[in-house]
Amino acid sequence: MEWFWPEGFYTIVMVGVFAVASFAFKQPIAVALAIAAIIGALVSGNGVPIDHLIEGSFGYLDTILIIFCAMIFMKTVQHIGLMESVAAWMIRKFRVLPFRLTMGITVLLMIPGMITGSSSAAVLTAGAIVTPTLLKLGVPPVKAAAAIALAAIYGMIAPPINIPAMIIGGGIDMPYVGFGIPLLICTVPLAIFTGMLLIFPSLKQHAAEVGPGTDDSELEEELTRMSRVPLTVRLMLPFFVLVVLLGGERLFPQYAPSLGMPLAFLLAAASGLLVGRDWKPFEAATEAIQAALPVAGILVGVGMFIQIMTMTGVRGFFVVSALALPAWLLYVGIATSLPLFGAVSAYGSATVLGVPFLLALLGRDEIVVGAALSLIAGLGDLMPPTALAGLFAAQVVGVKNYFSVLKVCLLPAVVTAIWGIMIILGANWL
Amino acid sequence: MILTWIYWAICLFMVILVLRSLYREKSLREQWVAAMVLVPLLLRVLMIK
Amino acid sequence: MFEKRYLGSRFTASLMLVAAIAITAVSGLSYMKMREPGPDIDRVVPHAGFEHKRLSDWFEGLAGTPADTDIYVQEGAEPGGTVLILGGTHANEPAGVIAAVVMLEQADVKRGRLMIAPYANPMARTHTFPQDAHPQTFSFRTPNGVTRAFRYGARITNPVNEWPNPDIYIHPESGQTMAGIERSNLNRAHPGVADGGATERLAYGFMELIKQEKVDLAIDLHEASPEYPVVDALVAHERAMELAAMVTMELEFEGVPIRLEPSPKNLRGLNHREWGDNADVLAVLLETCNASAGRFRGRTDEALILTGEDKAYEKAAGLGRLYVPWESFDKRFEERVARHVTTVRLLADNLEFVREGKGVTVEGLPAYQELSDLGVGAFLSD
Repeated sequence: MEWFWPEGFYTIVMVGVFAVASFAFKQPIAVALAIAAIIGALVSGNGVPIDHLIEGSFGYLDTILIIFCAMIFMKTVQHIGLMESVAAWMIRKFRVLPFRLTMGITVLLMIPGMITGSSSAAVLTAGAIVTPTLLKLGVPPVKAAAAIALAAIYGMIAPPINIPAMIIGGGIDMPYVGFGIPLLICTVPLAIFTGMLLIFPSLKQHAAEVGPGTDDSELEEELTRMSRVPLTVRLMLPFFVLVVLLGGERLFPQYAPSLGMPLAFLLAAASGLLVGRDWKPFEAATEAIQAALPVAGILVGVGMFIQIMTMTGVRGFFVVSALALPAWLLYVGIATSLPLFGAVSAYGSATVLGVPFLLALLGRDEIVVGAALSLIAGLGDLMPPTALAGLFAAQVVGVKNYFSVLKVCLLPAVVTAIWGIMIILGANWL
Repeated sequence: MILTWIYWAICLFMVILVLRSLYREKSLREQWVAAMVLVPLLLRVLMIK
Repeated sequence: MFEKRYLGSRFTASLMLVAAIAITAVSGLSYMKMREPGPDIDRVVPHAGFEHKRLSDWFEGLAGTPADTDIYVQEGAEPGGTVLILGGTHANEPAGVIAAVVMLEQADVKRGRLMIAPYANPMARTHTFPQDAHPQTFSFRTPNGVTRAFRYGARITNPVNEWPNPDIYIHPESGQTMAGIERSNLNRAHPGVADGGATERLAYGFMELIKQEKVDLAIDLHEASPEYPVVDALVAHERAMELAAMVTMELEFEGVPIRLEPSPKNLRGLNHREWGDNADVLAVLLETCNASAGRFRGRTDEALILTGEDKAYEKAAGLGRLYVPWESFDKRFEERVARHVTTVRLLADNLEFVREGKGVTVEGLPAYQELSDLGVGAFLSD
């Protein structure tokens, strides 16, 4: 009781207010988090510390700039027709090769997440683009939504950009360096597994039905529409610029200029002005910010929430309680609480729980453990009410009831959690 | 430092885009979210925090 | 997203904008108070004999920049060596700052020269770090009832002075890579770069001071978290090891146990490494135990800064997660300051034994027990 009071009470109040605000009053996650933070400060006798609340959000200012600029880049790539062209090319080439097509679609779904570190960005861009193809090729909508959501999450976790891993690493002063291979180990097998489970069977059936040389005019029409901007090297320019700028900074930090991710994304987006069809950059940028605002808002809200957690002692209560779990329970705790806390946000889960779990697991290879924890935290994007990846995917595919999608996600999610725990257990052999 | 000024300009650009989004947003709740995101961006543009 | 309630309009958008500007103004005023705190906060009353200088007196590149900082110099009647003391390299390690201030207000130099930089990184004092929820100030009372308040800053330079940080920071001298944020950490920036970033230039200023003044002993006062292995410790460059070992033994004798750690050769940018490698100076760094910057801490407020008592740390100690014997351990602010002052005094006292003719004698510094018993306020002027 002495341990519980009053921090445990504050925890219940803050989490409770958040739940009520977001479920009962249907407030956006960002607003619900801010309200919960304010009530937490009030209940603990700190008044409404506006300066503290705003200061908390500054913890993610750089991340918000990255997301905004990455989203502008994604919109650019979409507007100049690069995305659709690539998708059409892939379907044409691999329609009768269902395994390669499955892998190709999975990679395409993952790429925006890999670059932006946001599963929502992946769903809303690549997800939106491959949806017609998936449905045309006979994938049931619920499975298509699940496949998009999961691939987007694996993309978010896969290198080069993994924000949960940056957040977790930042918590113990560990630079985001050397995560590439561990994150690939975390995500690639799962992405293959999920693609084979959800997409491959339908594609295989479709390939068997149509066979090579069969006429499928409806699909052909769709493909022609998608590839009206020819896929040329010039069209790929924004991607090349991005790869050179980001890759150069990371691989040759001694020689390449350190521009930072926001500037790199913006320059790559600007190079889109030189290629492709006519589009309105300022409109595209505004669209991008509109699409990114919910995620940016959640980060602002999470920042406020964490600042008040720190101020009231809830953070210490949480962290030390997690450290106090016995070893076997620790793994169960990781596999369940990280995704469950994702109901708030996967980023929040990474900060609030990822860091203490990493501390509790000190002694194992920290980079590998951090990578695995970020993977498990990523599952939080399937967890209602926020379920960013899941809800967006259902919306994109046109499935009304998200829970039918969630049901299909369950098996891959459990496999993901188990894979994450296995990686933690084997961290020192990797 | 030139990079500082470039990033200051990026921040200002984002303020403008968030403002545009705020005025386009039809839902009051999402307008709140835009306003929340605006505050830290403004404070950085003003070089206060 | 999924419901169609179009309650928002241009009018409500304007209301939101006004609200956002109001919140920006209210919080902005609070942050500005950290930038310009007024004459009563961080005020120091140097002991008679101290001469006030600025770091830009040694490196002109700092003049007029936010990186320039106060240096106080007192020379004794008798010739001897030179001791440099830094507080506030990390502004969120308050016992280091206050120990430097106490010495600045009490030291009476009889032999040699004493130089004190109480606020070594002034750009780290102008903000508190996001999500750390630290109070902006903490204060003490002098025997006459005057309140002496000091800012609780951050570990790194204010982003207002240095932004954006690179994704990866490359230590210029060695090429060692670190997290990007370390570019703004004074104790990763040594020996500094004359035309580098704000923090690198600040580090360069200190290196110049040490070289030009032929400093014999340079001491940087820090604090560390209880879960950090190097706490209640003295970290010494290899040339300072002999002196450090002597002082460690004397401290043990005075009932102030302290860990002695060699400065790691491959960890670059830290002052005990770079000062010692780049100048003929004995470089040491001291750490006491500060729960208020720790990762396991509970409620974060002024009381935590001053008492060090924390139930989350107590529980973490029970779980065997700490590097200090929490239960039996005195974590009060005055104790931490007393540790620093005593260690500095013993280092100065013993300097003569390792550098003949370079001894420094400082009188007036409060004794360990005295400071621990009477508190910090008793040794601050009105």
